[in-house]
Amino acid sequence: MFLQLTLSGLAQGAIYALIALSMTVVYRATTIVNFGHGDFVMAGAFAVYVLVIYLGLPYVPAAILAVGILFIMGVGVSRGFIDPIKSGPHIGFAMMSISLGYVLRGGARTLWGREVFPMPQVFDMEPIFLGDLVVTGDALFICAIVAILLTVFFLIFYRTTIGTVIQAVYQSERGATLIGVNVRAFHESMWGAGLAMGAMGGILIAPISLLHPDLGASFLIRGFAAMTLGGFGSLGGAVVGGLLLGVAEQYFGAYINTALIDITAYLVIVAVLVARPAGLFGKTVTVRM
Amino acid sequence: MSRLQRIYYLIPVVALVIPFMANEYLLWVVNAMLVYILVTVGFNLVIGNLGQLAFANTAFFGIGAYTAAILMVYAGIPYVLAIVASAVAGGVAGFLASVTALRGIRLYYLAIITLAFGELMRWVYLHGDKVTRGSDGLQIPQPSFFWIPLDSEMPKFYVFLLLTVLVVKATSNLMRSRIGRAIVSIRDNEASTASLGIHTARYIVVAFVWSGSVVGIAGAMFAALIERVFPESFGLTEIIVHFGMVLVGGTGSIVGSVLGAITLTALPEYFRQFPGMDELLFGVIIVLVLLFLPKGLVSLLCRISPAFNERYYRE
Repeated sequence: MFLQLTLSGLAQGAIYALIALSMTVVYRATTIVNFGHGDFVMAGAFAVYVLVIYLGLPYVPAAILAVGILFIMGVGVSRGFIDPIKSGPHIGFAMMSISLGYVLRGGARTLWGREVFPMPQVFDMEPIFLGDLVVTGDALFICAIVAILLTVFFLIFYRTTIGTVIQAVYQSERGATLIGVNVRAFHESMWGAGLAMGAMGGILIAPISLLHPDLGASFLIRGFAAMTLGGFGSLGGAVVGGLLLGVAEQYFGAYINTALIDITAYLVIVAVLVARPAGLFGKTVTVRM
Repeated sequence: MSRLQRIYYLIPVVALVIPFMANEYLLWVVNAMLVYILVTVGFNLVIGNLGQLAFANTAFFGIGAYTAAILMVYAGIPYVLAIVASAVAGGVAGFLASVTALRGIRLYYLAIITLAFGELMRWVYLHGDKVTRGSDGLQIPQPSFFWIPLDSEMPKFYVFLLLTVLVVKATSNLMRSRIGRAIVSIRDNEASTASLGIHTARYIVVAFVWSGSVVGIAGAMFAALIERVFPESFGLTEIIVHFGMVLVGGTGSIVGSVLGAITLTALPEYFRQFPGMDELLFGVIIVLVLLFLPKGLVSLLCRISPAFNERYYRE
């Protein structure tokens, strides 16, 4: 039982990790927390749905296309909505991101109303039985994809020139501009990358849960909880936080009370911020006057 | 009396004219506007005047509504006392919220933890169904304001108008006093304010407690308005509504709060018939305001007359 919970917790957690990671990417690159991220994730999932159901594309090309669409959307968001308000107060970015998410949610609801959609299955695979454990095809797929994405991501971040550029811009935007980095294009591509990763998360989630316009909200909170637990701005922390959160939800739900599953994320947030605001891997920030 | 304060002369006119010009439904919308004016004024105090990203507003709102409802249903307390209790409960909640801000939690952390606070409260409403009747909602008995039964929209209108005017005026007086100046000073630069010998912690608490009380009262009014209190009314979507009202009206401005509340209550009501359109419109309005009118609707008024600028001194 314990092991089964751990396994399903890890599968769920892998998705939370992906979402938290995509939010952290945007945060690390632009110091903006995308409060509307959950709704972009939902948009990614809906994009695949539209492509598969209405346009009849097979699943994998549809998924890739949806990720591409979200990448372009990210670039558009950065260029059209974030860039113009750059000179205003920082709180403006938070408001803008929430509102954009809200627009997406309203749009989805206008188009599809109160319906809830099942997503087409990715694999028609029999679950594997390892002794007492049941491992579903979906769970394996999710974990595999997330592991691959994370590896690719970390390689890019820490081993390539682009990764160094990302870190440079994060540490000092002005300095990066001075040495000739196109910071604007950088911001746009980071938003695109963050949203694209979020879309991947949405695509992975949708087959195991149902698709509806409010899908975003629960993921936003889980993403926050994972980021907070792992330490804001820490990429590895976001992943670890996501996995831990997924597992914790399963444990709390099974051993204490099923009602706690919804609320574990909030409890984690409050607990972490009260006890150790920096999270597991975050740096404690000292503000210099 | 300052030029802006002449607006208060409008109030008796409004009070007499509106109920006779509008039908029950429109009066209900006006009552909703009054409730949201208080919500927005309270929220703006923390977000605009104090400058903290504290999204605990729905928590205060829900606590106010459920306190009033529970007291009226289980203890038979008259509505007037329930309003007072809601104010107190809201104030306590505000105090709790202020504790996180006092510990130095700022910006996004504060936003997230206060959102978590709101959602935790909503979970309590949902799962405490022995008392709160969970998602069925808690029906309140016919409220009576002193001797006036609030059985139709017109008496509610007068009661709400009275409460709104009193609370808004009190908040305005607060902002024009030393306390208000301290609060705004903390927003502008906390370290400098502290270095002037102003007890920043005390004023942060005052701002939060006042905000909580105001929104708690609004919650009690809300309970009387919709007559049945549901947990869903106090969730994540609701905080965006509150936030939008503050933004569209103008952060840090009481006049702005009133404007924002009126605009954003009226518009979604009209679009409620198309599901999702109201949310869409809401988001679009906020995006447009952020791009083109960052200081809110009140900035338009300020261009006409500087009397609308927020003032922190009494004349």
